[in-house]
Amino acid sequence: MKQNSMLAMILAGGRGSRLHELTNKVAKPAVSYGGKYRIIDFPLSNCANSGIDVVGVLTQYESILLNSYVAAGRRWGLDARDSGVYVLPPREKADANLDVYRGTADAISQNIDFIDSYSPEYLLILSGDHIYKMNYAKMLAYHKECDADATIAVIEVPMKEASRFGIMNTDETGRIVEFEEKPPVPKSNLASMGIYIFNWKALRKLLLADMKDPNSNHDFGKDVIPTMLNEGKRLFAYKFKGYWKDVGTIDSLWEANMDLLDKNNELDLHDRSWNIYTEDVPTLPQYVGPDADISRAFITQGCVIEGEVKNSVLFTGATVAPGAKVIDSVLMPGVSVEEGAVVQRALVADNVKIGRNAVVGDPKSEHIELVSKRVKGVE
Amino acid sequence: MSSALGIINFAGRHIWVEGLQSYRPLGALSFLGRYRMVDFPISNMSNSGIDQIQVYVRRCPRSLVEHLGTGRHYNINSKRGKLNILFSEKGVENNVYNTDITAYIENMRVIERVPRDYVVIAPSYMVYTMNFDTMLENHIESGADISLLYHSVDNAKEAFLNCHVLELNRQKGVLSIEPNHGNAKNRNIFMDTYVMKKDLFIELVEKAKKLSSMYTLSDIINAECCELDIRGVAHKGYFAAITNFESYFNANMSLIDLKTARSLFDPSWPIYTRTNDSSPTQYFDGSSVKQSVVSNGCLIEGTVENSVIGRGCVVKKGAVVRNSVILSGTVIGKDVHVENQVVDKEAHLIHGKELVAPADNPGYIRRGDTL
Repeated sequence: MKQNSMLAMILAGGRGSRLHELTNKVAKPAVSYGGKYRIIDFPLSNCANSGIDVVGVLTQYESILLNSYVAAGRRWGLDARDSGVYVLPPREKADANLDVYRGTADAISQNIDFIDSYSPEYLLILSGDHIYKMNYAKMLAYHKECDADATIAVIEVPMKEASRFGIMNTDETGRIVEFEEKPPVPKSNLASMGIYIFNWKALRKLLLADMKDPNSNHDFGKDVIPTMLNEGKRLFAYKFKGYWKDVGTIDSLWEANMDLLDKNNELDLHDRSWNIYTEDVPTLPQYVGPDADISRAFITQGCVIEGEVKNSVLFTGATVAPGAKVIDSVLMPGVSVEEGAVVQRALVADNVKIGRNAVVGDPKSEHIELVSKRVKGVE
Repeated sequence: MSSALGIINFAGRHIWVEGLQSYRPLGALSFLGRYRMVDFPISNMSNSGIDQIQVYVRRCPRSLVEHLGTGRHYNINSKRGKLNILFSEKGVENNVYNTDITAYIENMRVIERVPRDYVVIAPSYMVYTMNFDTMLENHIESGADISLLYHSVDNAKEAFLNCHVLELNRQKGVLSIEPNHGNAKNRNIFMDTYVMKKDLFIELVEKAKKLSSMYTLSDIINAECCELDIRGVAHKGYFAAITNFESYFNANMSLIDLKTARSLFDPSWPIYTRTNDSSPTQYFDGSSVKQSVVSNGCLIEGTVENSVIGRGCVVKKGAVVRNSVILSGTVIGKDVHVENQVVDKEAHLIHGKELVAPADNPGYIRRGDTL
């Protein structure tokens, strides 16, 4: 496709410190999810499926793995001649000092030259750490239909939780009249999903001004959107219906994995009309042993199941030895649960070994236990 | 980078896998759920540093071409390396003359121009892993003209009946290449795998064409056994030859056992295949799966025992699949009982509830059939 009317920029710089050891070495968008995916596969696959050819990925925190991961654009089919995934960490420039990205808006401002080289009409801003399937082409059509200056995707959240989100108050036409970040007394339940479409030329002007403003946080939610509202610009809310999850904590990451076990879960990763693409790892098929006992589980290739697996999600290459039990748990890639070990209500980090007869997690615990270090066996 | 050109040969006319082969060449035949037969020789070559690979197709090229694509998924450098798909146009008109020699003659220019001094030839219908780099090194060191790979078996009376056997002298010199007549248990099964100088290969192909229009590469080499220094190289590890329906079924079944599988699959020797972007497999309440190999993208509510399940299959509530090989995209309906069957791609087994074949004579359900 020789037409870059909309270019996408994915904000993937965040650490996600509430994910504790899981993000010691990798940024949150690179965290594994759903058996074989990483979180950033979702916005990248959505772009590919929506016909967006050029995607910039803004990285900052622990970006080595993320850089090498997203650089292989062909995983998502983004490798045609006029297509590509570009990794954009902060860089030194001739006319400016090397500076970290000071905020979400600054990350875009510092890459104006990159965006200009494609001269897009529209710019799509995405977050690299949300799990959802969305057709951005439909959102762009809505943006055009409203003759908007900016369109923000919103999702209805339960009213009692609305004070945790950035809330959009709209008039009857869907036009945004007010934006409140985490309001104590919310007036609506339309939460911003951190997905924005801007007309590039107008945004460019705003960003140049914002860069010079010493009082700005250089953030879309805190600065750019309020400024646009003050200036009387046309901002519209695009209502999204479907599965959407921001996995900020171990509990919510565990929950998002558990959601996949529901028979009619909204994310529906089996739907072949909207594939989520990911790294292709050469592994064995999945092996199920003679004494295995599996029910309600989401298990991918390379796993070897010889014990019991109930209500759990197992990632690439996880193994469960004979006599071992994995219940209400998530085993990240390469985890091995040895003979007789029991894992319950736990999220076991990549490549961790649970030794013979060891017991981790507690069926009655309020929070999910994160197991990020080797657990010794019990003889 | 290897000094050899890799050639993947097609199965000769003496080999026919009933049912399955009508729809595709053996190279494109699904194996152990997620693989195709041709993945094994190509991965062997790629892992051995061979980056110039020619895959020959005798018939029905569509599915093989689709699977191979540019060869990128086999870890071949897309600029320096190359995966060529070649077939003989003339051969298609008359099956009898459709030999490997015919295909090589027609594509001789492509073979000649590859800047490699040696050829490694491997078949698309055998499953094994082999380091061709080591084999080539040993071949050069030995000073032999041709090295042939064989596997010693003790069941040549009842299996490998469409294969050839090598008669060897004590120094592993090859005396002849003969069909396996099934009259002895212990035989050296020829693995249709050759290493030689490319010049010698070209010379033999041209000689074969002059001698007989029906000659194959193994025929001409057999005829040259007295003239050339031809040696056998013993292969160790897992080996299966898919030469008929029974051997296809048995090879799949043998790899359900994890120990056997580990003798074929070595983490340092990956077998590559084309990704299908399918999601992980989902098991629902009440599913019961034992002793099986399951591919991604399946939805399993029923019972699966001692079976190979291909990508994207659905096993509904109450369904039982036992001792069977289920190819991708198949639906096993509610309460349907499938036993001792090979079910070809995208079949829908819904109405007939009892699809049980005798254990010693597995059945076949055609591609896309609704039963």
